[in-house]
Amino acid sequence: MATESQVRNTVPVTVLTGFLGSGKTTLLNRILTENHGKRIAVIENEFGEVGVDQDLVIGAEEEIFEMNNGCICCTVRGDLIRILGNLMKRRDAFDYIMIETTGMADPGPVAQTFFVDDEMRDRLKLDGIVTIVDTKHVWQHLDDSDEVREQIAFADVILLNKIDLVGADEVDQLEARIKSMNAAAKVYRTENAAIDMDRVLNIGGFDLDRALDVDPAFLEPEYPFEWSGTYWLEPGTWTWTFQPGEDPTMDISVHPIAGVDDGALESRLMDAVLTFSDEPVKLVANQTMKPGDQLYQVQFGEEPSICAVEIETPGFYVFFSEHHPNEFDAVFADENGGVEALHTREYKPDHEHDEAVTSVGITEAGDLDLDRFNAWLRDLLMNQGPDIFRMKGILSIQDFPERFVFQGVHMLFDGRPDRPWGEEPRRNSLIFIGRNLDEDGLREGFRKCLVDADAR
Amino acid sequence: MSRRRGRTVAPGRGRTANPGRTEAPIQAELDASWHSSIDDYVIDARWSPDGQMLAVAAISGPIGCLDIDTGKPVWTVHAHGFGTTELDWHPGLELLTSAGQDGLLRNWDPATGQQLSEMDGGSAWVEHVAWSPSGKVLASAAGKALRLWDPAGTLLREFSDHTSTISDIAWKPGCEEVVTGAYGGLRFWNVLSSDAVRTLEWRGSILTIAWSPDGKYIATGDQDSTVHFWTIRTGKDLQMYGYPTKVQDLSWDSRGKYLATGGGPTVAVWDCRGRGPEGRSPILLEGHESVLTALAFHPDRNLLISGDESGHVALWQPGVSDEPLDHIVVGNAISVLQWSPDGSAVVVGTENGSVARLELRSED
Repeated sequence: MATESQVRNTVPVTVLTGFLGSGKTTLLNRILTENHGKRIAVIENEFGEVGVDQDLVIGAEEEIFEMNNGCICCTVRGDLIRILGNLMKRRDAFDYIMIETTGMADPGPVAQTFFVDDEMRDRLKLDGIVTIVDTKHVWQHLDDSDEVREQIAFADVILLNKIDLVGADEVDQLEARIKSMNAAAKVYRTENAAIDMDRVLNIGGFDLDRALDVDPAFLEPEYPFEWSGTYWLEPGTWTWTFQPGEDPTMDISVHPIAGVDDGALESRLMDAVLTFSDEPVKLVANQTMKPGDQLYQVQFGEEPSICAVEIETPGFYVFFSEHHPNEFDAVFADENGGVEALHTREYKPDHEHDEAVTSVGITEAGDLDLDRFNAWLRDLLMNQGPDIFRMKGILSIQDFPERFVFQGVHMLFDGRPDRPWGEEPRRNSLIFIGRNLDEDGLREGFRKCLVDADAR
Repeated sequence: MSRRRGRTVAPGRGRTANPGRTEAPIQAELDASWHSSIDDYVIDARWSPDGQMLAVAAISGPIGCLDIDTGKPVWTVHAHGFGTTELDWHPGLELLTSAGQDGLLRNWDPATGQQLSEMDGGSAWVEHVAWSPSGKVLASAAGKALRLWDPAGTLLREFSDHTSTISDIAWKPGCEEVVTGAYGGLRFWNVLSSDAVRTLEWRGSILTIAWSPDGKYIATGDQDSTVHFWTIRTGKDLQMYGYPTKVQDLSWDSRGKYLATGGGPTVAVWDCRGRGPEGRSPILLEGHESVLTALAFHPDRNLLISGDESGHVALWQPGVSDEPLDHIVVGNAISVLQWSPDGSAVVVGTENGSVARLELRSED
C-alpha cells in the first residue's frame, strides 16, 4: 500500500520548573502576554480550564507512570500524554505548549515523556527546561531538597529571580554554586521574572544541532582553595577566630593585591595556586601570618583557633582558604571589631554541602574507537543511568569524517552524524550532569575509548 | 501476584501457518457509497443498535446524526464546551449519550437532537461513557471517578477512589459488571456493590480494554508497548510484547477465536482458542505502511478491518490469507472504524473530518 506522506509540524514544548514562590506564575503570565499572535496552551498543576484570550490553560494532576520493567527511563507522565494527546488532535492546534510543574516535581519523567511515548515524540518537540529560583530562599532548598537540585540539574535555562532582594555577592555565590551543579545551563539574573522571551522559548535545548552550545572548558578549573576574600587592611595585628569544624586543619594564605576587582584577583590566582602547592607552616601559639607566598595551616582543636595576621603597610590584601570560613563561623577582626570582606569568591562547593549534583565536562583531542566507546557508554548508562540526568556532546569517531553529536536524558540516548570536521581540529567534548558522578572514573573511562589510549 | 509471560514472538519476526485451515477464502471488497465531512477531527462515530441511524462527534464539541443513505446531517448540536470525547447508544431505547470536556454527560433524543438530560461526570473531562448490555445502567469515567446512572440520568453509584485517571471502561458481555482500567491494573464494579468486586493488579499503564465475546478473557493494550491478557476465572495473566509502539487498538472476532492488536503498522492477530495465546505466535498481517489507528472485527464473520495514520483502510481474513482482501484510501489519518450492526457496511472517520460509508461487497 502506498502511503501519502503527511507532514506534521512538531509543536515546541517548554517545561517550567521551580519551587513554590520562585516566580513561575509571573514568568508564565509574561510569556502569555508578550507572545501576541501565538496560541499557547499551558498545562498547570491545578484543576480547571481557563481560556486566556486565544490561549488555553488546562489543569493537570501529576500522574507518574512507571512501567512494569521498573526501568527509570520508561517512567513518564501519564497526565501529559493524555492531555497533550487530546490537544494534538485539534484542528486549531497550538503554536507552543508550556508545562508548569509543581515545585516538588521531578523533571525526569516530564522530559522522558517526549522521547518515550510514540505520539508525543512524533508531534511535539521538547524545546527546553526552564528552572526559576528564588535567589533569596533557594539556599536552604539546595541543601535539603532533592527536587530543587534535580530541577537545577535538568535545566537548559536557569533564572535567578528576585535578585533585587539580595546583595550582589550573594547572587555571585549562588551562581557559582549553581554552575558547579549544572555547567551546561544558561544562567540569567532577573527581577520579577523579566526576561527576553528569546532566552526562554525556542532555545533548542534538546536539539542535536545545538548539542554543544556548551563548552565544557567553561567548567571552572579546580582550585586547591574554596574561598577568597579581599580586605583593605591598615597596619597592625589582625586576627582570624575559627570555631572548631569538621576538618582537623585548614590551609590558608594571604597576599597583597592591587584592588578589589576581578582582574586583580585573576592575576593573583596562579600565585595562590603555587603557594598552596608548598608545605604549610603550622599556625601554633605565637606563630603569625604575614602577607606573601607562604602557606599556613590552621590547627583545630576543642577550643576556637585564633590566628594573628601582621600587616606592615596599608593596602588591599586577599586571603585564600582551603575551606569556606563560614564552616568555622570565622570572624576576622582587629581591636576595633570585625571587618567584612570587600569582595569574596567561592571556587567550588564546600565539602559541607557535599554536593551530590555536579557536572563533569570532558575535552579530549583524538579519535574514539567506536566499539569501545559504545561498550563504555552502554555500561555507564546501565549502571549509572538513574544518576545521569542529562548529557550532551560532540564526538570525533575514528573513520567518520563527520562530527557525531548526541544528547541524552537518563538512559535515553539520541545521536547522529553532524557536519564534516573539515579543517577544524578533531576533538571530543562532552558533559554529564548528574548525581554522585565519579569525575575521575568518567574521565579515565572515556580516555580508554580513544584509539591511541594505550599510548597515553 | 504471579505472572507468566507468554512465550511470544515480536511482530515483525516470523509467522505461523494455520495448519488446521478449514475456513473458505472470502472474496470481498469495500466500496464507498458516500463521503461526507464534519470539518473537524472525528472523535467518535456510532451506528444505532438497529443500524438505522449514525451518530458522529467532532473533537471540538459538535455532535449529530447523519442520514445513513446520504451522509447528510439530520441534526447537529454543539454538545460539550471544550470538546466531545465519546458517544454511546442505549441498546434498546431511542437514546444517544455523549461525554465531554465540560465535565458533563448528556442524553439526546436521536431523532431531533433535543437534550433529554444532563449529568455531572465528577471531573473536568468526562472521557468515557458506556451503556450496560441490558441498558439499565450507564457508566461514565471522568478523571478518577466512575459513576453509574440510570436511563433517566439519576446517579446510582459513585466510585471515586481510583489511584489514577481511568483510561478505559468496558461492560462484560451479557453482564451487568463493568471493568475500569488505569495505571495499576483493572477493577470490576457493579451497581449492587459499594466497592470494587474484584481487582487485577498490574504495574503498568492500561490504555484500552477489550473483553472476549464470551467474557472469559480481558485483553488490554498498554503504554509500554505490550498487550496484557487475563483469564477471568483464574486471574492468571500473561503479556505479549515486541510491539514497536504503545498499543491503543484491540478487537475480538465474534467467535472469540482471534484477538487483533495494533501497535505499529503490523496487525498482530493472536489465536486465543483453548489454552489461549500463551506459547503461540501471532498471525502477522503486513501491508500498512504507517501506524495503525483503528481495528474492528465484523460482527459475525472472520473479517477484520484496519485503518492507519495515512488514511488507508484494509480488509483481512485472518488465518486464511495474509494479504488484504481489499484496501481503500479515505482522507487522512483514520480515527474511527465501526461495522454496522448487520455487518453490511463500515463507517470510517478521519482526522480531517471525513466521514465515509464503505459497503462490504462479498460473493456470498
